Amino acid sequence: MIYDSIEARDEIFARLRRACSGSRSVFREALAHLKPPDPPTPVTHADGDRRSLAARFGAKLEAASGSYEILEDAAEASQRVVQLAREWGAAERATESAAETIEILSWASRALPIENLGELLKQAGTSLIVPDDMHDERTRARAARVNLGLTGADAAFASTGSIVLASGRGKSRAASLLPARHLVLVPMSRIHTTFEAWLRSLRAKQALGSFLRVSGQVVFITGPSKSADIELYLTLGVHGPKSVHALIFDDIW
Amino acid sequence: MTVDVGAAYPTRVRQALADDALRAALDRATEHLRGRRAQALAGVDATRLRDEAHAVRRYAIEHLPDLLEQLEGNLIANGCQVHWARDAAEALGVVLEIAHQNHVKDVVKSKSMVTEEIGLNDALQRSGIDVVETDLGEFIIQLAGEPPSHIITPVIHKRLEDISEIFQTKLDTPPTDQPAELCDTARRALRSEFLIADMGISGCNFAIAETGTICIVTNEGNGRMVTSLPRVYVAIAGIEKVVRSVEDAVLLWQAASRNATGQDVSVYFSMSSGPRRRGDSDGPDEMHVILIDNGRSRILERRYGDATLCIRCGACINICPVYREIGGHAYGRTPYSGPIGAVITPLLEYDIRPARDLPFASSLCGACRDVCPVKIDLPRLLLDLRSDIVERRAAPIAERVGMRVYSTALRRPAPYRALARLARRLGRLAALLPPLKRWARTREPPRFAAKSFATLWRERGRRPGEGAAE
Amino acid sequence: MTDISTPRPRAALFVTCMVDTLYPGVGMAAAQLLQRHGADVVFPDRQTCCGQPAFNAGYRNDARAVARHLIDVFWPLVDGGDVDAVVAPSGSCVAMVKRHYPILFEAAHDIEYQRRAVQLGEVTYELTQYLVDYLGVADAGARCPGRLAYHPCCHLLRELHIDAQPRRLLSSLKDAEIAELPNADECCGFGGLFALKNADISTAMGRRKVRNVNHSGADMVVLNDVSCMTHLNGILRREGHSCRAVHIAEVLNGTVEHATAERDSPDDR
Ligand code: SF4
Repeated sequence: MIYDSIEARDEIFARLRRACSGSRSVFREALAHLKPPDPPTPVTHADGDRRSLAARFGAKLEAASGSYEILEDAAEASQRVVQLAREWGAAERATESAAETIEILSWASRALPIENLGELLKQAGTSLIVPDDMHDERTRARAARVNLGLTGADAAFASTGSIVLASGRGKSRAASLLPARHLVLVPMSRIHTTFEAWLRSLRAKQALGSFLRVSGQVVFITGPSKSADIELYLTLGVHGPKSVHALIFDDIW
Repeated sequence: MTVDVGAAYPTRVRQALADDALRAALDRATEHLRGRRAQALAGVDATRLRDEAHAVRRYAIEHLPDLLEQLEGNLIANGCQVHWARDAAEALGVVLEIAHQNHVKDVVKSKSMVTEEIGLNDALQRSGIDVVETDLGEFIIQLAGEPPSHIITPVIHKRLEDISEIFQTKLDTPPTDQPAELCDTARRALRSEFLIADMGISGCNFAIAETGTICIVTNEGNGRMVTSLPRVYVAIAGIEKVVRSVEDAVLLWQAASRNATGQDVSVYFSMSSGPRRRGDSDGPDEMHVILIDNGRSRILERRYGDATLCIRCGACINICPVYREIGGHAYGRTPYSGPIGAVITPLLEYDIRPARDLPFASSLCGACRDVCPVKIDLPRLLLDLRSDIVERRAAPIAERVGMRVYSTALRRPAPYRALARLARRLGRLAALLPPLKRWARTREPPRFAAKSFATLWRERGRRPGEGAAE
Repeated sequence: MTDISTPRPRAALFVTCMVDTLYPGVGMAAAQLLQRHGADVVFPDRQTCCGQPAFNAGYRNDARAVARHLIDVFWPLVDGGDVDAVVAPSGSCVAMVKRHYPILFEAAHDIEYQRRAVQLGEVTYELTQYLVDYLGVADAGARCPGRLAYHPCCHLLRELHIDAQPRRLLSSLKDAEIAELPNADECCGFGGLFALKNADISTAMGRRKVRNVNHSGADMVVLNDVSCMTHLNGILRREGHSCRAVHIAEVLNGTVEHATAERDSPDDR
């Protein structure tokens, strides 16, 4: 410990224990023992088969200023990724002095939900940048140039249009954060109804704690970066991506 | 004219009321936010959401020491360094020490009220460390050299043209009436700050005890930048931020989002459980969590625990008819304004006197209590604080004398009648007495009736009931 | 009308100090309304004030002294079965008795007065609440030509949750047109001591209410508290508007023209 805060800690705990376990409630009205809900009731709702959940997820994402496409299978999704990378790359070259090859800041191939997508993209002439150490100045500078980010999603939620990304080996935070566009691959099998249903299933498998703790950071993302700080006008892409585009595909056969 | 947060309360209020542009901006913004909130709550079981949000916050406060111990243990197990601070000075000391050990020169910060509360920016700058606010709103007011005037929308008091002007003078940009252009300018300016910063500082919305996780709610993504790019990440959390479980945090996140900005959920909800793991490409190498008391345990000791339930959604501020007239800066040098600010600003201080006007800056209309997502009875707390202030003899002497006269006369019928007769005889002259003069400056005073109700009733001689004789 | 065979309900009228000294007409209207709609009225004339001015300002000892007196005047009537209810033409003063007395005496550990306060609070009613909920009045049976806007006073609305009752009675008035008041549930800015201590903010809030009243096109804004009424009339008169704030008792009693005329007559004292 770089600063001796033991004394502070002890005093804080002593005061809190005295206050919270005294005979008088710390609240103005001492309510009869109030049991917190365990677990809390889901705030939002969604149901239906995987197709309707996918459609609902897309619609909610769109309501949060994102966009989506629903594709038949992984193969179609792969082609679409290549096509979009080319289109966007071409659009950028027309306006900015971008690099010759199309660059994508991406999760590692093995972390993406489509096998061989990395290979396919390379064959198509794009260059996948998978940072290994963002604290390295050259890696960072290189990553910072890229305008397109590509990731999978650990989970997605139909009732809010949100995705969950857990950081980890090959799953850089930068890919969903630095580029102006974020392209996210969402297999239908990963789409859950609500946060609460997903948490319940993780909890049932006793996997919730480890899911959070194994990662440095787990982030829920719902649409592109926004701000309403300037006179409450909605502006997109203040810091994070200006667009979040989901390619939802059926992966259950 | 702007409001000088360092001036005395009456001056601040006068300055605010004289600023028509400010009040127009506040009107527009608060109305918009109220509308969005109502819409977001119409789609869910709002009553149950409130009941449950209240219950989980209340549980957390009732079990505060146990949950904090659990949180600390899990944070350490996750590889975080945990520090405790009794007050602002200790917290600043910790931050500066971490900064010096890591040779930090540039700090990026995401929006955090607790860092405003402890005056972190000043302290860093005095030590020669550059600190940049990265929330767009906070960035703008940092450029303008002002404190935030709202806990959710810190620059609520400024119009588009004001902001464009600030950018012109501080960032040398051409004038514009396009918010998107201003936003792009800020993106470029701040992106380079993120890339060079060696330390990120954030507050904390919820700290999950069972997993040792610090949660941050943002819409812009600066929270993710601050917690992901610099080598060192420091989270500063008030000790009341702890919650029991992941499920509780997710519930409160949704309650906060719907009540603050009328979104189903905020764009980002970042849950950091420690430094980057082996093999991770990004994330901090060191994660520090500073748990700060700074008056919170005193709030519990004084049985104002209700105030510590707050999840800082700002709904009470947006509905407050007083805030709408005067804005956040009229509440003084505090990041907390509106009803919740009027409650916690004096409570967080050791000495209630400097903020003693705030609990009186309310008509007790109760609108805030009805919107609060964790059901804090704010008018009740304001009433109790007023009583504390009076008991500490911190109220003006004339008022104290007046109240004594009032209660001495009105606790018995005869002196009450005598006082009423005297007032009747004084008639309009009464309006010359100092307190009534304040009334009469803008409002016609009422006139005393020639005969009191009691007299009329007696004269009428019709008494179906047998009222006791005087 | 109540059946002859069952005794008429008996209500003790607490007129409140402001009505007693400033607006006796409101008290008379309240008494007449109660009698006309089937209740006997008892007026305990030792009554003074509920103590709210001191309580709201933080002076709990002073408030308690006055509150004890109110309890001493009214509680024996209730406890002895002399009256079924205590009725006041004020949401604010009723909220003081029902909601704040328990806090006031709890804080002082005065168990006996707290018990009495709770008992008293259970049978204390705001006038329109008593008329509708207790006496079952659906039609005020009065006439009020003009365009009315209803302003729900904060304590009535948010401490007592009374809103349907006064609106229902107003809608029963003959020849009255009810105007929609924009942002009706926003505070008028009175707030007790707030109106003096923060006179400028209070006035700004009142002006906003007046703008809304004007916007509604009403020639009368009806409310259940003479305190807010005084504040709004203060602004309406100072700023030369023809619209007036009137107490609901006088409106429902059909004595409102008389009341506003009297109030606006030149001061002859
Ligand atoms: S007091 Fe309630 S309404 Fe106000 S900011 Fe806190 S949680 Fe939100």
